[in-house]
Amino acid sequence: MDNNEIIERVKKVISEVLGIDKDKIQLESRFVEDLGAESVQSLELVAAFEEEFNIEMNEEKALEIKTVGKAIDFIKEYLDKK
Amino acid sequence: MNKINEFIEKIKGLNKKVVFPEGEDERILKASSELLKEKIVFPILIGKKEKIFELGKNIGIDNITQIEIIEVENSEYFPEFVNRYCEKRKNISKNVSEKIVRKPLIFGGLMVDTGKCDSMVAGASNTTASVIQAASLTIGYPEGIKTPSSFFIMALPNEKIYFFADCAVNICPDENQLAEIGITTGINYKKLMEEEPKIAFLSFSTKGSASHPAVEKVQKAVKIAKERNNTFDIDGELQVDAAINEDVAKRKIKDFSPVAGKANVLIFPDLNAGNIGYKITQYLGNAEAYGPILQGFAKPVSDLSRGAKVKDIIITTVITCLMS
Repeated sequence: MDNNEIIERVKKVISEVLGIDKDKIQLESRFVEDLGAESVQSLELVAAFEEEFNIEMNEEKALEIKTVGKAIDFIKEYLDKK
Repeated sequence: MNKINEFIEKIKGLNKKVVFPEGEDERILKASSELLKEKIVFPILIGKKEKIFELGKNIGIDNITQIEIIEVENSEYFPEFVNRYCEKRKNISKNVSEKIVRKPLIFGGLMVDTGKCDSMVAGASNTTASVIQAASLTIGYPEGIKTPSSFFIMALPNEKIYFFADCAVNICPDENQLAEIGITTGINYKKLMEEEPKIAFLSFSTKGSASHPAVEKVQKAVKIAKERNNTFDIDGELQVDAAINEDVAKRKIKDFSPVAGKANVLIFPDLNAGNIGYKITQYLGNAEAYGPILQGFAKPVSDLSRGAKVKDIIITTVITCLMS
């Protein structure tokens, strides 16, 4: 999967879960401060990424991620292992 | 311990059902066995049957077959809960909901939400944040409440009981959150103690004796709490001596106060004060501290410390069930 496709799919998942416009999502956006996520939604984002990419992430580490860019890096680690 | 024994006697016969999402934890298993044996509540464990039976056998639990165990994926409730989660959380697809509902904390929360049991007790192996997250997503908050918080029941050697809040969850609550914490703790004081709460919002200042933004926050919280609840006796800002000692209250407060000197619910301005306050009372005042008990959700959920012992789990369960 190329980089752009991963970025697009991550943005799609975030826009669906948080109910926001995809164009608002930048790599440096912070989930809570910039995208208006409630902290409780982190669990839903992780589950939605897992479903989208068919991966199982380490939940504790995943929940520490604060920005879209870091989420993409984290997901790539799992995709590389596949 | 007297008050706790009273609580235990009160809950017997009420047929309360409690879900424990950490059913494979040895302490949870021991506590459940005792809760059932003593007919205190009906425990429901979430976990793999095979694993729980083996653990039960190894640690000598003799009534393991009488305890209800739910395996999430094989549960008859699973499809219902997947739909329920989608209903509650509009942006979540069915596939993602299936993933989320498989999580024992979420499944347990949905059991409470849908009325299949009265309360949930978790936190023996999950963090407080995870328990709060699961409860927020499944059980949610009653109208007007947005802040999950916690209280301690402090039983003093002279048998006086105080409720302290918030000593474990909110680090620096703003005036609105502080007001909510006060009202919610008052509601639970009334439920558990069956008497009217007298709620004191604490500070280092008594009725304007000092001026500082930290004092103003408490003053604003008192105003908000009084506006939102006109049935409880609420007052502040008060120093703790003026809140609990009638002689000091008479000296420091000129106007009538329904709370000063007689407070039974102490609301601390932040977690520094709250956490230090309860531990000083516990260690220097030889008080027994029961909690933290989570509060603020539409139905009761409680958190355990990860170092909780079997006795702590039983006490927390009893208190949580009495709040339902």
